[in-house]
Amino acid sequence: MTSKDPLFWTTIFCGILVLAIILFPLIQLLTASSLSKLMETIKDKTVIKSIWLSIYTAFLAASISFIIGTPFAYLLARKEFMGKHLIEAIIDLPVVIPHPVVGIAILGVVGRNHWFGSILLELGVRVMGSVTGIVTVLIFVGMPLYINSVKDGFESISPRLENVSRSLGASMMSTFFRVTFPLAFRSMVVGLLMCTARAVSEFGAVVIVAYHPMIAPVLIYERFEAYGLEYSQPVAIWLVFFCLTLFLILRIITLKKKKDI
Amino acid sequence: MNLKYLLVLLIFVTLTASSYAEEKLEGIVTIFHAGSLTLPFAQMEKTFEENHPDVDVRREPAGSLKCARKITELGKPCDIMASSDFKVIDELLVPKYSDYSIRFASNQIVLCYTKTSLHASEITKDNWFNILLTEGVSWGFADPNVDPCGYRSLMTMQLAEIYYKKPGLYDKLYAICPKENIRPKSEDQVALLQTGNLDYAWEYLSVGKQHKLENLNLPQEINLGSLKYNDFYEKAKVNVAGDKPGKFIEMNGDSITYGVTLINDAPNKRAALAFMVCLLDPDGGLKILDDMGQPPIIPCQVKNSDIMKNIPEQIRKLVKPGE
Repeated sequence: MTSKDPLFWTTIFCGILVLAIILFPLIQLLTASSLSKLMETIKDKTVIKSIWLSIYTAFLAASISFIIGTPFAYLLARKEFMGKHLIEAIIDLPVVIPHPVVGIAILGVVGRNHWFGSILLELGVRVMGSVTGIVTVLIFVGMPLYINSVKDGFESISPRLENVSRSLGASMMSTFFRVTFPLAFRSMVVGLLMCTARAVSEFGAVVIVAYHPMIAPVLIYERFEAYGLEYSQPVAIWLVFFCLTLFLILRIITLKKKKDI
Repeated sequence: MNLKYLLVLLIFVTLTASSYAEEKLEGIVTIFHAGSLTLPFAQMEKTFEENHPDVDVRREPAGSLKCARKITELGKPCDIMASSDFKVIDELLVPKYSDYSIRFASNQIVLCYTKTSLHASEITKDNWFNILLTEGVSWGFADPNVDPCGYRSLMTMQLAEIYYKKPGLYDKLYAICPKENIRPKSEDQVALLQTGNLDYAWEYLSVGKQHKLENLNLPQEINLGSLKYNDFYEKAKVNVAGDKPGKFIEMNGDSITYGVTLINDAPNKRAALAFMVCLLDPDGGLKILDDMGQPPIIPCQVKNSDIMKNIPEQIRKLVKPGE
């Protein structure tokens, strides 16, 4: 593709359009607050607490997705079985369900009126209005992204490599941890990033399950309703700033890994 | 002669066509309204659209304060705004975005629950506070900073302390209700009650009736539903969000009065006015409200006779000035 090729200019034009769609409203948001208002906001303990809660619960959801999603993604990548397509469609369901519906669905099974909810309450586990509830919602919405990414990663690794390892006497478990896992590591990191990013941005489902404790998107909503744009924008800016920094660092680490490989 | 007839006919046809065009309403009417008005307004929308098939009524229910902020801060186009507290219109929209508020309905605070709520069979208007203080009973209210139902629920609890002669009751109730049970809108609690995540919730009577919940009706002295107890209601004072985080303003108790207004730069003023006429009609919108458990104010009221001159002619006959 050379600069004389129309395809080249098409790609450049589309690239500019994509960046404009993303950056235009974000730049407006980022420049809407004065520096003094930003400083005042970051000194507010409620803001720090909610941004920290957002990041902490998102990573917790990603970690749990990693623990339970990885073996399942491996199964889906390596085995053909009856109903596999149906299961894959079920995994994609949380991506297409409207967010408030997710919240309502979760509330439906954790209340006293449901047998599962009454067992949880007997055990002292409270989902509504708790960190447990927030993490549950974030796993629900984020895990499909992780599983799909890791499944693709496993599928791209040739089973022959695993067979060689097995033929040299390694057990299936040992082969998984010493051959497959390192080779699929990058797709896991990408999956974790996607899952975390999805979780940080979640609002609709969380606000139904847990208004308090407030994650950052809920605090932004509350600030807007109670005090207006002037006090909700700075919180949004800080959330974007922290997330951008965090994801930039993680991207750099991931790229480095790719080059190393 | 023939030319004369032709001219008369032409004038007649033009006049008829223009008067027809004047009567024919079309386009979109955008209404921002309090969440507690969702069901009656949905019914009014249906009726209005049946009578005016070219008009599309689009409603956006939200907390009353959010409705106002969408107009003042986000500049979202809106024709009509209906709030669960007329003061929200008077304080946030008048005079820049609107010239008046029309008080069109009242309501009362009740304690809603379901048949599966803990102690549901025992609760009465004389022991409800003991049940709310019982360990294991979960109850909640709307966020007082964003929903008028929230601060009104707190006012009812304060008034209960005086009415039942139980010093310290309000503080005890406030302390025992975990923040986690608070929701941004009072209607958000309905799903929590139905799923058993909450046993009791402070609600408007109309919302309880519309969602077929069990309603514990409270004495008039504390339910904020009667104008004649306004002096008593004023004894309740609740701090709500002020102009910036960490700042609070004091709200005094008052009877619940819903307000509606036409926004000054409404994009579809003609159709919006027609909707307002239907809403304020005792046999139309006000009847729908009454049927759904929300007592209408008949005739609707404006603050005083000075405000009457700001009221559009079409709806002037449906309102009267308050004292």
